[in-house]
Amino acid sequence: MNHILLFPILFPIVAGIMLLTIIKYQNRKPLLVFVGTVLGVNALWGVFAMCRVSEGVTVFYLTKSLPIYFKVDTLGRLFASLMVLVWLLGGFFSFEYMKHEKNEQRFYGFYLILYGVLFGLDFSGNLITMYLFYEFMTLTALPLVLHTQTKEAVMAGLKYLFYSFAGAYMALFGVFFMGKYAKTLEFTPGGVIDPAVLRENETLFLVVALLMIVGFSVKAGMFPMHAWLTAAHPAAPGPASAVLSGIIVKGGILALIRVVFEIIGPDFIRGSWVQRLWMALSLLTVLLGSLLAFREPVLKKRLAYSTVSQLSYILFGLSLFDRQAMTGSLLHIAAHVFIKVALFLTAAAVIYMTGCKRVEELRGVGKGMPVTMWCYTIVSLGLVGIPPTSGFISKWYLAAGALHTGIPVFSWLGPVILLISALLTAGYLLPVSMEGFFPGKEYDAERFQGKEPPLLMRVPLMIFAGFTLALGLFPNVLTNILSAVADFLM
Amino acid sequence: MEIVLNFPCLSILLAMFSAIISSALNRKWARYLNTFVVAAVGILSAAVLWLTITANQSFIYKMGHFPAPFGNEIRFGPLEAGMALFFAVIMLLSLNGGREKIRMEIDPGKEKLYYIMINLLLSSLLALVYTNDIFTAYVFVEINTISACGMIVITEHGRTIEAATRYMIMSLLGSGLFLIGICILYDMTGHLLMEYLYTSISNLMAAGTYRIPMMVAIALIVVGLAIKSALFPFHAWLPDAYGYSTVSSAAMLSSLVSKGYIFLLIKLIYRVIGFEVFYGSRIINVLFVFGLAGMIMGSVSAIRENDIRRMISYSSVAQIGYIYMGFGLGTAAGMVASVFHILSHGATKSLLFVAAVGLTDASGGHKEFDELTGAAYRNKLAGAAFLVGALSMVGIPLFSGFISKLLFAQSAIQSQGKALPALIVLAVSTVLNAIYFMKTVIRIYTPTDKEYEVTAFGYKISYAITLGCFILLNLLLGLFSQPITNWITQGLTILQ
Amino acid sequence: MSRLWLCFVVVFPIFVGFFAPFVYRKWRDYFRIYLGLSVLLNSIIVWGLLFYRPETGITLFHFTGNLTIAFELDGLGCVFAGLVSFLWPLATLYSFEYMTKEEHEDIFFLFYTMTYGVTLGIALADNFLTMYCFYELLTLVTVPLVMHTLTREAILASRKYLCYSIGGAAFAFIGMIFIILYGTTTEFVLGGVLEPGKIGGKEHILLLVYIFTFLGFGVKAAVCPFNSWLPQAGVAPTPVTALLHAVAVVKSGAFAAMRVTYYSFGTEFLRGSFAQHFLMVIVMFTILYGCSMALKETHLKRRLAYSTISNLSYILFGVVIMTPLGLGAALTHMVCHAFMKICSFFCAGAIMHQTGRHYIYELEGFARKMPKVFAIFTISAVALMGAPGLCGFISKWNLAAAALDSGNLLELFGIGCLLGSALLTAMYMLTIVVRGYFPREGFDYDRIADVKDPNWRMLVPLTIFAVAMFLLGIYSQPFVDLFLRVAQGSF
Repeated sequence: MNHILLFPILFPIVAGIMLLTIIKYQNRKPLLVFVGTVLGVNALWGVFAMCRVSEGVTVFYLTKSLPIYFKVDTLGRLFASLMVLVWLLGGFFSFEYMKHEKNEQRFYGFYLILYGVLFGLDFSGNLITMYLFYEFMTLTALPLVLHTQTKEAVMAGLKYLFYSFAGAYMALFGVFFMGKYAKTLEFTPGGVIDPAVLRENETLFLVVALLMIVGFSVKAGMFPMHAWLTAAHPAAPGPASAVLSGIIVKGGILALIRVVFEIIGPDFIRGSWVQRLWMALSLLTVLLGSLLAFREPVLKKRLAYSTVSQLSYILFGLSLFDRQAMTGSLLHIAAHVFIKVALFLTAAAVIYMTGCKRVEELRGVGKGMPVTMWCYTIVSLGLVGIPPTSGFISKWYLAAGALHTGIPVFSWLGPVILLISALLTAGYLLPVSMEGFFPGKEYDAERFQGKEPPLLMRVPLMIFAGFTLALGLFPNVLTNILSAVADFLM
Repeated sequence: MEIVLNFPCLSILLAMFSAIISSALNRKWARYLNTFVVAAVGILSAAVLWLTITANQSFIYKMGHFPAPFGNEIRFGPLEAGMALFFAVIMLLSLNGGREKIRMEIDPGKEKLYYIMINLLLSSLLALVYTNDIFTAYVFVEINTISACGMIVITEHGRTIEAATRYMIMSLLGSGLFLIGICILYDMTGHLLMEYLYTSISNLMAAGTYRIPMMVAIALIVVGLAIKSALFPFHAWLPDAYGYSTVSSAAMLSSLVSKGYIFLLIKLIYRVIGFEVFYGSRIINVLFVFGLAGMIMGSVSAIRENDIRRMISYSSVAQIGYIYMGFGLGTAAGMVASVFHILSHGATKSLLFVAAVGLTDASGGHKEFDELTGAAYRNKLAGAAFLVGALSMVGIPLFSGFISKLLFAQSAIQSQGKALPALIVLAVSTVLNAIYFMKTVIRIYTPTDKEYEVTAFGYKISYAITLGCFILLNLLLGLFSQPITNWITQGLTILQ
Repeated sequence: MSRLWLCFVVVFPIFVGFFAPFVYRKWRDYFRIYLGLSVLLNSIIVWGLLFYRPETGITLFHFTGNLTIAFELDGLGCVFAGLVSFLWPLATLYSFEYMTKEEHEDIFFLFYTMTYGVTLGIALADNFLTMYCFYELLTLVTVPLVMHTLTREAILASRKYLCYSIGGAAFAFIGMIFIILYGTTTEFVLGGVLEPGKIGGKEHILLLVYIFTFLGFGVKAAVCPFNSWLPQAGVAPTPVTALLHAVAVVKSGAFAAMRVTYYSFGTEFLRGSFAQHFLMVIVMFTILYGCSMALKETHLKRRLAYSTISNLSYILFGVVIMTPLGLGAALTHMVCHAFMKICSFFCAGAIMHQTGRHYIYELEGFARKMPKVFAIFTISAVALMGAPGLCGFISKWNLAAAALDSGNLLELFGIGCLLGSALLTAMYMLTIVVRGYFPREGFDYDRIADVKDPNWRMLVPLTIFAVAMFLLGIYSQPFVDLFLRVAQGSF
């Protein structure tokens, strides 16, 4: 019975591989039906499985002491449900968007494989299983990045790959260590290493912890390993950049939470120089991302820089090791998923309908595509953190948590930087809406006339915008769950 | 049994008289006589070897039955007899292998002279091996020199005359030093027979007198013989002499002539100077260093060489370095290794010379490497033989060279303080050997489209048999070395 | 099984090879059947020997003194012999197809098959001298394979190979002599044979000699700075580069290094000495050096050859950890790398055979035309990187675990090197994959219209290797246990 957990992992992978190798569709329609069916069935099954199964499943042993082990916990459920939602809606969006790209079948093949791999990542019950899916996530996301096969895309893809692997191998160093010193590699809140062992090799373990933190943060684009993100995300096709920026990067965050809170243990890092370094790096990234986004003229790149900055909000929240900040981080994960996916989908819709990529070309876009731009505006406000959107709630928790910890300097520096960054966020996102709706006189009205995207694109956008608002208006449901998670992890 | 005791003397006389008789014969009969004599000497030596080994002792034969200290003596143990046998076998094979070349290169009128020289050479070698009297040794050293010069110069091109002159000068210098050494020894002890010399010298050393003159005498003798056997800094004459003379001469010069001097030196060390005295002197360190230098420098020169014959000649310089290195180690095991290397190098080097001539003849007589490309396909047997020789020189297991390397290395470890330099130089020298020999092997096994005039030479039965025997000899030394080392150890013990 | 079979499996391929040209000339139609069946038969006998091991060894003859040529099958030998005999028939099958486009098939198979026997000779050698003899022989029988094409390049490469190998053996020879004199026996005994009474006061010389020996054998395992022969030897036909220069020959070097370290000098004596540290630094350097050179190289086979250099040093890294775990990890990587590298080389060979393309930039868009080959190549690339689920991860994990277990600070750097090299591996392997699957925009597929997948003779070995990599990756426990038992001497 517990093995039904494996189904949502394997089914899309098998389907994707079949799509890549055996099945050859001549027309779009059967292909889309196939993909849609797989997406839908798997989503249902996945949700069913994660609601019903709470025990662990050991599938087999890679080698002695390395079981492939799945277990669903609240954290996994959170990430998995976000992922399912985005994957479904992103999939539907891409049904329309991918019309103007080549090699559709390949795209959907990898899209499905990645679907399964992400389920695997979210359901992983121990470090080695997670690492396995983490690596395969990196690999299978690569074809999405370089889908267009332009020189730029290929270079970006390779850059993505090498940065990711550099991070993964740094983390692997730590995994080796844990394999040696940990009693078990199964995720256990509070860590799995004997405190006595930790104290004995304190410096060594701190270095290892740092390596793992930095390694997994590569996926989350933390300075100094952030350069891949702003190259890779814009290069991918629209829906792909949305899922990359919304979900894949969260894979890094999930791994980080798992490692820091459930393998090494928060008590060991709290108060050490590693924590301070981590905080400093994440704050630096928050600021840096916003600044770079501010001066970036290409919309998708601007959004990518924004991702860099926003992810480090989450990282900063984690690095505080505070219950409240942790809740804020988790909230921000959810908020950022909806917001960033919506933003990228907007950009994709604009590119799809008009071909405009740069911000200054978008004057007056609101006149022609009002629904799209309204969605954009709502989620932008969310990202800036203006009530009543989800961003406000998460930032509130983050700032409150930071002040609550009382760590010298950082407890007040953090909120200040968050605030500055919020201002910058407003500065780089809102002008698009403003100029879009109020273009002044000299703009090309013809250009956007009647370019409202089709239903298949509009609906996902509206759903994401709706979620952003809903989270802000009725935060309590989620906050309660998430603070319980935070309690559990601390 | 008694009659066998006469064989050593008989073989010397046989060789010498056949030289005299040959001058009266025509070239064909001279050739037959020579072959017969060499074969006969081989058989006689084999008989002596068998006798001495079974008796496990040495015998003294008084020439003309004059008693010591006035008479001249011959002394033979297993080692001497074995050496004589080995020399005879190698000589027979070398002559046989180079027979066609002798016929081609030497003026028919002078071919007879060549065989006279060979006979003289044989008799002098035998005398060097058997004699128990250092002045007799000197006399035969000179005879040896003269016949060797004759062998070099017989082909009569400009290069050989020059080479012979050089050889003559260096050789005479060596013999001169040797003679002075003998004189000093005689002056100090009043004896020429080895037994008496040995006793007097040990007495002198025990008394602590005449230390410096003794050192000078030893040094002169050693240096004299070292020059004659082409130890490293005195090797300048060698490449020309070996490289341009007719192939049989080259094979014999490298495998026999220089080895004869080395064997004489061994004999002097054991029977005259005394093992302990010799190793107590600092001479061995000098020999060790020059030996090591020779091992490296000989190979380096060989690598630079573009002429296959000269390359093989330079390789001899390196191999003689091995032998002197064995002396220099100062252990009995080192001596055994050196003696074994005399055999293994003798067998291998003459094989290489004979094989090389087959290869060059298949390439229109060119000796340069460019022209030798693919020669092994044109003369398959010579190619295979060269391969065996090269592998043996490099020290691949199964071939004789490996055993000498093994013995050298084992003895090196036992010596005090010389282990590491010896071993490292051994390894480096192996690398260098590999470089030039393997380069040549690959070269001759690289096919080419170039056509060469086919010579009948490579397909002569006698040539093939010679090569076959050489290869067999090599494998024999490589695979069944245990009895041979036993014999050498036994022989060296009895020699003392 | 009777111990005579030990002799048989060494000698039989040599004879089979020896008569190959003869069979080729007389009965050409049966040539392949003859070779294929002989090789298969030999492999079956070897596997039979593995399962029914003879109790004692067999001595062929006495060389000199107490030196003998003798065979015995111990744990370490089992691993190597099993590996080699598993790969050889597959490689032979592959070469049948590959050699259709090369000349002198008979000469090629003559030496190729002989090498099988000689390699088994190394695996089964019972004492140092036997191993040394077969080690030298291995050099000699493989040289003709390197110079097979007879181009100028090939000649130079074979000359270099020969000189390097013989030179290495010359230094290893020193070690042999020391073992003969300072050991209780020359046979291989786990834990070393040095006689404690004799080595007093000579430790430093012995350690130095150990370094010589290790590096001497390391020449075949392409340890830096003696590695330049390996990429050059890539001019040989691909079956040679794949089987010999990724498995048989180079792993013989690593195998010999294991013998020297664990079975002759003994880890008790070596652990913690300057020799260990020195070698570890060299090995670590080689790991990174090989990878960086591979990244720079644009010739496909040479790139793989550089990758081999680096991976061989993984094995040597396991060896110089000098614990049973280290040896176990080294063996694991020896087996895993054999599959990964032979597979990627065979893919490269298939590409060369089908299209004559040699350079990576020429492979654009090939994945569409050769989907099977490229899929398998991708698997081997991912395995080489060390992604979990494939065999490369298992060996890396074991190496790292062994290094951590020994608790030496230098070994932590070693793990760093392993990971750095894994990153570089990802770079140089995946760029090929990416180029094959994702040609630049607007790539004209007509330009590579002639490209297609090879026939079953090439695909069967490739598929088997891919499956093996996968199986070793997810079900490695029995193998790793076996290797550990070998390393602890209980097998």
